Amino acid sequence: MSLTQINPLTDDQRDALQELTNIAMGQAGSSLAMLLDAFVDLSVPRIRVVEVVELPATLADLVGKNILVSAVRQSFQGYLRGEAIIIFGEPGSHALADLMGYEGDLGESSQAELLLDVANILSGACLGGMMEQIRNFTETHGPADLSFSMPSIMARDVPAAQIIDPKKVQWTHSLLLEVNFTIKDRNFVAHLTMLMPEDGIEKIRGIVDEFIAAI
Amino acid sequence: MSEGASPPNLAENVLKRIDVGIFVLNKNFEVRLWNNFMAHHSGRPSEEMLGKNIFDAFPELPKPWFTKKVNTVIMLNNFAFISWENRPYLFRFAHNRPITGGADHMYQNCMLMPVNNESGKPESVCVVMFDATDTAIATNMLKDALDTLGEISNRDGLTGIYNRRYLETRLESEFDRTRRHGGTFSMILFDLDFFKKVNDTYGHLAGDKVLVEVARRISDQLRSSDVVGRYGGEEFALILPETPIEGACIFGDRLREMIELEPVIYDNMTIPVTVSMGATEYSADLASYEKLILQSDVALYASKAGGRNRLTCYAPELEAIAVSGAKH
Repeated sequence: MSLTQINPLTDDQRDALQELTNIAMGQAGSSLAMLLDAFVDLSVPRIRVVEVVELPATLADLVGKNILVSAVRQSFQGYLRGEAIIIFGEPGSHALADLMGYEGDLGESSQAELLLDVANILSGACLGGMMEQIRNFTETHGPADLSFSMPSIMARDVPAAQIIDPKKVQWTHSLLLEVNFTIKDRNFVAHLTMLMPEDGIEKIRGIVDEFIAAI
Repeated sequence: MSEGASPPNLAENVLKRIDVGIFVLNKNFEVRLWNNFMAHHSGRPSEEMLGKNIFDAFPELPKPWFTKKVNTVIMLNNFAFISWENRPYLFRFAHNRPITGGADHMYQNCMLMPVNNESGKPESVCVVMFDATDTAIATNMLKDALDTLGEISNRDGLTGIYNRRYLETRLESEFDRTRRHGGTFSMILFDLDFFKKVNDTYGHLAGDKVLVEVARRISDQLRSSDVVGRYGGEEFALILPETPIEGACIFGDRLREMIELEPVIYDNMTIPVTVSMGATEYSADLASYEKLILQSDVALYASKAGGRNRLTCYAPELEAIAVSGAKH
């Protein structure tokens, strides 16, 4: 593991990134609502840079210590490179089966597929929303486009602190984008976090500085 | 054409001939592109497919789910994926390993990508399909091998019933499950009486035969949810899910009697065998599953102290006997 030091975001940078993400998540929320034909509530995102070693405890605080969660990982590359981790609370994605076009009783593999499908649209909507915002004010860092790899399940029914083993993570920092998705009248909660290599976090810092200059 | 520039139909040719399935659907699910891979595997040439609704052409496609999937890509301008691990195939195609395969269809991984019009809005979806049959077969073989290994690692080498490690894991999960969802279960710990004497009198091979025979007779009597394992040398344990102590005692006593009534025959020797049993039931006030083992051990000790070849149900009063008595 490298010992790269990352400076935390300054207050101004965090505020600006917060602003940028607020708009992006607003958009993500409305596309999800349109897609699922249900009222999707996205919390105001909280953003911070977290050292990977602190991640298990942070996730446990975020999600709750006494519940079992499932998690899906998905890598993205292009404008930014990293891994999105989508964590589902105890009710999981079951509550969305009908909205996602699943019919009848879900067997083991359909449950897994549903989990992956839901994770894929959550990460796609959030990251896609961010790219769209970035495209609106800068082209300095190249075209803001991402491609995604196939998502995979990293954990089923484990305590949140066990999702990530920091010893196995190559990168030292994570940009923790704390968004809670809830869907009206459905027992559904999910959280999103992103792991990025250090240069990715520095790139975001550059983008944010440009955003500050533009407003 | 300038030196080094691609000929105009290069991309088209590659797309057509690549050994990967590529097809494009518009918002109305009409086929806009259908490459050779798709044509050859489906037996439907591109000329036949172009303009055709995909659900009309393939009525067996899971419509609501696939519709949602394609809509996701268009509405979110996002990628979507289908993995053979969850859904073996999108289209049922024959695969290219009829002899070495062990599968009767092609496993497929698919990636769905938005295709944008000039103004950057997604208006159709390109599906890229990879033949994942080789990976699937290798993964399934690996999984089978791991399952076998896992099964072996849970078994006692001599008797073939579960080993102590597995018993404890099961006991713990049964304990947690019952604590979480309610209900009850019982466990019985039992021990062959004077087993050392069997070994000394008839030899160790005879002793082994007795262990194997007892394990077999008990296994034959179990319900599918019951678990029997060898806990230690001549000590066995039974986990009886959904069974209150009364039922466990009746069942345990039947097993005890069955073993007593039929001596084990080995090498023309008739070896009488009896067992002592200790039974106990789950209770919400127990701190952990280990406590359950301790309780059945106390009951087992009482059976030994009481003259062997019997079953005792745990009661708190028995603790005193166990503490005052010598180690059995």
